[in-house]
Amino acid sequence: MTTLTRQDLNFGQVVADILCEFLEVAIHLILYVREVYPSGIFQKRKKYNVPVQMSCHPELNQYIQDTLHCVKPLIEKNDAEKVAVVIMDKEHHPVERFVFEISQPPLLSISSDTLLSHVEQLLRAFILKISVCDAVLNNNPPDSTLRQQWSFSKCIHPIGQAWCSFTVLVHTRDAATRNMEKVQVIKDFPWIVADEQEVHMQEPRLIPLKTMTSDIVKMQLYVEERAQKT
Amino acid sequence: MAAKVSKLEEQFKRDAPREKQKDGSYSDIFSGVSIYVNGYTEPSADELRRLMMLHGGHFHVYYSRSKTTHIIANNLPNCKIQELKGEKIIRPQWITDSVKAGHLLPHLQYQLYTKHKGPIFPGASLRQTSDTAGPSHGPLQPSVHQRLNLPQHSAQHSPLNRKESTSSCQNNSIPNSNHSPLHQGNDQPQSVQQSSAVGFINPRPSPTWSALLNADPRHRSLHSDPSPTKPHQPALQTPPADLQHQRASQPQPQSNSFCNAARSGPKEVDFKINGSLQTSLELISHSEVNGMQKCGRGDPFPPVVKEAHLTNGHTHLVNGALKPEVWPPVTDGPSVEKERSPDDKPQSPPVQFQTKPDPYEFPHSPPKQSDPSSVFPKPPNAHVASEQRPKPSPPTYHEAAGTESQHLPTPPRQPRPAGSDPDQTPLSPAPRALSHSPIRLNGSHRNAFSPEPASFDATDETAEPDAPAETVPSASKSSKSSAHLLAQTGSLISEYYSHSRLHQISTWRSCFSEYVNELHGKRKAVGVGSFPGKDRLRKSVAPHSADSRGTSAPVSVKSCVLHVDMDCFFVSVGIRYRPELKGKPVAVTSNRGHERVPLRPGARPQLELQYYQRKRTHPDEELRSPDCHAEQDAATLSMAEIASCSYEARKAGVKNGMFFGKAKQLCPSLQSVPYDFEAYKEVAITMYETLAGYTHDIEALSCDEVLIDGSALLAELSVKPEDLANAIRAEIKEKTGCCASVGMGSNILLARLATRKAKPDGQYLLKSEEVDDFIRDLPVTSLPGVGPVMGRKLAAMGVRSCGDLQQVSLSQLQKKFGPRTGQTLFRFCRGLDDRPVRYEKERKSVSAEMNYNIRFTEVDEAESFLTNLSMEVQKRLQEAGLRGRRVTLKVMVRKVGAPLESAKYGGHGICDNLAKTVMLAQSTDSGQLIAAAVIRLFHAMKLQVEDVRGVGIQVQLLVGHPSVPQNSAGPGTRSVKEMLLGRGASARSSEGGPSSVPPARPLSSPEPVPGTSRDLQPCGQTPKHSRARLNFSIEVPSPSQVDRSVLEALPAELREQVERSWTDRDGRTSNHQLPGARPSAPLPHPPTLKSRPTSPLSPPAPGGALHAAPAGTLFLQIPNQPDSLGIVLELPNFSQVDPDVFAALPKELQAELKSAYNRVQPQGKILEQTNPLLQLKQPGLGVGISRAKRRYKRKNAVSPVKKGPSPVKTRHTNNSPGKALQPPMKSREPMNTLQADHGPCTSTSKPEVPEALSKFIPRPAPVLAGAYDLTDIKTLLREWVTTITEPMEEDILQVVKYCTDLIEDKDLEKLDLIIKYMKRLMQKAVESVWSMAFDFILDNVQVVVQQAYGSTLKVA
Repeated sequence: MTTLTRQDLNFGQVVADILCEFLEVAIHLILYVREVYPSGIFQKRKKYNVPVQMSCHPELNQYIQDTLHCVKPLIEKNDAEKVAVVIMDKEHHPVERFVFEISQPPLLSISSDTLLSHVEQLLRAFILKISVCDAVLNNNPPDSTLRQQWSFSKCIHPIGQAWCSFTVLVHTRDAATRNMEKVQVIKDFPWIVADEQEVHMQEPRLIPLKTMTSDIVKMQLYVEERAQKT
Repeated sequence: MAAKVSKLEEQFKRDAPREKQKDGSYSDIFSGVSIYVNGYTEPSADELRRLMMLHGGHFHVYYSRSKTTHIIANNLPNCKIQELKGEKIIRPQWITDSVKAGHLLPHLQYQLYTKHKGPIFPGASLRQTSDTAGPSHGPLQPSVHQRLNLPQHSAQHSPLNRKESTSSCQNNSIPNSNHSPLHQGNDQPQSVQQSSAVGFINPRPSPTWSALLNADPRHRSLHSDPSPTKPHQPALQTPPADLQHQRASQPQPQSNSFCNAARSGPKEVDFKINGSLQTSLELISHSEVNGMQKCGRGDPFPPVVKEAHLTNGHTHLVNGALKPEVWPPVTDGPSVEKERSPDDKPQSPPVQFQTKPDPYEFPHSPPKQSDPSSVFPKPPNAHVASEQRPKPSPPTYHEAAGTESQHLPTPPRQPRPAGSDPDQTPLSPAPRALSHSPIRLNGSHRNAFSPEPASFDATDETAEPDAPAETVPSASKSSKSSAHLLAQTGSLISEYYSHSRLHQISTWRSCFSEYVNELHGKRKAVGVGSFPGKDRLRKSVAPHSADSRGTSAPVSVKSCVLHVDMDCFFVSVGIRYRPELKGKPVAVTSNRGHERVPLRPGARPQLELQYYQRKRTHPDEELRSPDCHAEQDAATLSMAEIASCSYEARKAGVKNGMFFGKAKQLCPSLQSVPYDFEAYKEVAITMYETLAGYTHDIEALSCDEVLIDGSALLAELSVKPEDLANAIRAEIKEKTGCCASVGMGSNILLARLATRKAKPDGQYLLKSEEVDDFIRDLPVTSLPGVGPVMGRKLAAMGVRSCGDLQQVSLSQLQKKFGPRTGQTLFRFCRGLDDRPVRYEKERKSVSAEMNYNIRFTEVDEAESFLTNLSMEVQKRLQEAGLRGRRVTLKVMVRKVGAPLESAKYGGHGICDNLAKTVMLAQSTDSGQLIAAAVIRLFHAMKLQVEDVRGVGIQVQLLVGHPSVPQNSAGPGTRSVKEMLLGRGASARSSEGGPSSVPPARPLSSPEPVPGTSRDLQPCGQTPKHSRARLNFSIEVPSPSQVDRSVLEALPAELREQVERSWTDRDGRTSNHQLPGARPSAPLPHPPTLKSRPTSPLSPPAPGGALHAAPAGTLFLQIPNQPDSLGIVLELPNFSQVDPDVFAALPKELQAELKSAYNRVQPQGKILEQTNPLLQLKQPGLGVGISRAKRRYKRKNAVSPVKKGPSPVKTRHTNNSPGKALQPPMKSREPMNTLQADHGPCTSTSKPEVPEALSKFIPRPAPVLAGAYDLTDIKTLLREWVTTITEPMEEDILQVVKYCTDLIEDKDLEKLDLIIKYMKRLMQKAVESVWSMAFDFILDNVQVVVQQAYGSTLKVA
């Protein structure tokens, strides 16, 4: 049985792959559960052995994929501290923020479970939590003009997606942004620093959803929700 | 998918023949079996697949609910288990074993998760629980019925309890809930709580009311309310004693007079002693009789006992004389001094006498009632008593004594242990009176116990006679450890263990086992052993060997086991030199021949007898009180138990374990013979030595029972087994004068069964051809392991004889009794037994148990008792060189409705047996760790301490100790005699000598040091707070998260520090990012701690954006210390201590620190032994109940910035088992790691340290009082909220700290769940303080969350 550690080149990649895959599923599901998009564009799929909803809007999918593609190098290097899916109201103020806080587990290794089935189970738990999170969250403003945007932590987000009503923020650790600019993963998909307006939430309420600690990653998901949504 | 499956199927089919061809050996044993392998297995799935191919099975790569018959897995995650519920999940061994066996084995016993946990041979558990056989006092003896029925009792009478005791599931609410109804009528908890003082003054006429006082820990803790005004009041110790009186005085007029009497002068003052602390065992045993009656030990007596109650008020406890034994000249430890000082107030006796009656006189002086240290409540009084009043027998008392002596047998002798005697005499001018002096055994835990269940053989179960133990040396008592243990209740335990002959006898077995081991070791070393017996036998055989050789060789069985058993060992030894008794019915018992004994008040023997009887007949019936007193007569019969009786007596119907009184009725000519332990030992040794003269293939079963594997010997000598047996018996008879019987058979079972037939004084060879006939007619109960319970079960199935049993199918048996037991039964009833004769016995468990004379009145007592019992376990573990991982706490609790006083004096009466098990994080032999775990278990059981009748600690999952066992040097050279006698000698010498004085610092001080100091200086509370406040480090958030403006606003000094920490961290993080920088080894080297130029840290500015977090605990990992426990002594290097800060500390604290340093320096290694911090109260919120209480004042609550616990708490956390067990974390330089604590002196270099560490070292998961699991924590919290009326600030702070840790640990989910849980709990609690407490916790948590996440938790 091989033991992979952080030194192994592909370890970070493995983790990043897993997480990005998961994030993709999670984002789709969040968009569905929080009704950012009409449910018509979603299709039922099966992932982690549980039903999930996935958008079949090609542009949206592409956008999500591109974004995650950019997130991946950060995760690989353990630079991404938080990945936040922010749902904005029409004034472009965040209403809800699903924050995936990623950190390294105390002991990194994938020795004990090469198939990562344990991780899969944990991720499944996240998915399930997300799909029922509307129970603990207040309804979003009925206004359908929610905006979506992807952006990265301290303040970067991809431009050119004015049509969407959500945003992804990535909180990077320390000076990761500097490197990021050098490594432009996808052309025409740059990161910009997020506006204060987009990051700041008034009277945020924090609702922890799920925490996992596995051999390869430690992650917790919580939702921050604006006290007054309307 | 389907295509794929079928393709795989095809592939499998195709491969199968090829595989078969290749392997050669194939079969069809698995035909019809289709397995699906889930997850990692051993052997691998591939191998399993191959095996299935070979043996006609099917292998599914994909699980199919319809086709797959078995799922093979080594372990499964919980969700899979849920998912696969109802499917057969089998361990892979099933396949391999089946292949080995050549046929399909039943999968039942290979099930991965079975419903019936563990094969329990009821017999085994019987033995385990039947270790009572108390050191009897006087003629009162436990009954064998009692013992035998105990397991049934738990097993049958209360299914719930059985469940608990077997599967150690979450605690039992039974005793609790059932108790309240008992007392409900008079339940006035409120008034009692609020005004315990008043309670004393206005004794209520209700008999049960006062019992309630004791029954509820809450009330106790009330007593321990530290009174800020009179912290040094010596009289504070008295409330419990008063309680006793209170209890005693049921009718009001009586109690009034009693109060008056108590008031009338110093002479009338009553004193109670915490006998468990101070008296030696012998003394206890003599004074118990009275003490019992007078003190009642927390049990209200039924009305029968009014007289005794009256005397209560006028009795004195003269026991201070013993003090020196327990409070020896203390060498060091200001903390010790402190601890003692509130108690030891001999200097100001007048005050004491003045104040003592006060509670009675002035109803409005409750402060005097308060008891700063509920742990040491009584000794001081007793002490004073002895010093003050050398005249211990005022007239009133004499009267009382007189009345009492009428129905109390005067103890025949008054000998006291050598050590205590001299001290005693000057203080007891009237020894007779002294003998009546009601020494109150506060939770007197004299006991019976068994070191390990299996070693207790029925024949060993004897009661300890009341003769003092001078003659009997103690076994297994090293003076050193006894010195340690002597402190506190520990003294009692070790006293017990050093005196109890019962204990010794049970330890003999291990001694003999060890002896046999040595023989083997010697033989291996030397090559040949000398076997005089063998040689002799050879010679005797030699003459006719020429002709016999040919004949005997075929006769000799292939394997032959001899079971040598002395005939009614105790009796035959006892009458060796009393030929006049030979051939007469004789019984060994402690009874002096009296048939009747006075009935002790409170005891209801008839009830117990009926209970046991009824249990026997109708096991499922509930306890109910007997309807009449018809059996009153029988009840007064002596309950001394017959340890052994001669065959003549047996003929008359007397049985071992019978009560002597009853036996005497059956057989009026029955003679009693006292115990003679010396002789037993002598004979046993002789027997072993004799046997060792033949062979070394000996398995010691007990002191008088041995298994010999004669196969090799017989083959070598070419003699018949009968000849060998003859020779052995003759030699034993010749050497010891006692008869032995020998049973022979081809295996152990048959040999033992044959012995039955051989007895008395005979031998019997069970030939293999006779086995079937022989065994068919045996009753099933004669099989080992089939006790009454199983016997009844079998009888219910219509099975009475082994022949019947043979008709029952294996599967049926296994279904009914569990896989292993079923199989054993199946084999046994056919005479099959494949157990080898093992001269080396692997210990499965190490335990210490006491269920005699346990009467706690307070939680603290129970705790300290547990601690001490743990130390005893530690001692045994260390002696055996073992470490264990699973700790089981067994508790006997008075069965609801059972009489408060047991029929047998000090016995446990009718009990429910409860057990709870916890798995430690790592194997340990540390008593502290075990104690911590056990105390937690104890609290989780939620028992009324008053109802605890027996406590046992068992450690299982043993692994060998890396270090050599303590006595390993000895055994190689010692003979068994030396072993037994030598130990006794050493123990004896240690008993009396001053060398055995307990260590200065009682290991198990149940009183937390800081608590004491606090009590001493109640006004010191405020400084403490400020200290606590100092005790935080600032965990600096990343620069990006800090509001610059806030930073600017900070004092320059602070700002500098923050900035510095940033730079530090940057450095670290960049390190961290290097691919190789993160050590892949799990044990990184301890980072060097920077000793920074330090300036005392001021508390963080309130409202600052800084994320202030408690310093947390520091753990350094040290790679090369496998032994070390993860306990860190939290002292900074002395050089790091700022002298100014140190000087500013209160005196006590200074002294404490100094002494701590003194202790640390020379012996850093044995920190966990002597570490004063470890003597702090064991962690646990539940424990908080008994701690001296501080009122929780909302307004006093620390400012929001102060989010950490008080230093006290931090230390608690460090001591908590959870942390302590963090795998191999430990500091190599304890001094350097101590920053977290002792804030005032060390706050300087802190900010960086914890953080630095946390980056490099896997941060220990946050624990709350040792609990990590969510369920554990919930239990803990529930306990906290439900058992305590008013939360203590310390505890609240600890919860806050835990929550903060969780935030830091990024486990918001758990935090959320816990907060919500607390909200539910606390807001629905009756007392509004809980609501406030919750608000406080939430506020604090929100602040931290706010700082960490910029938002606050949504708490719906």
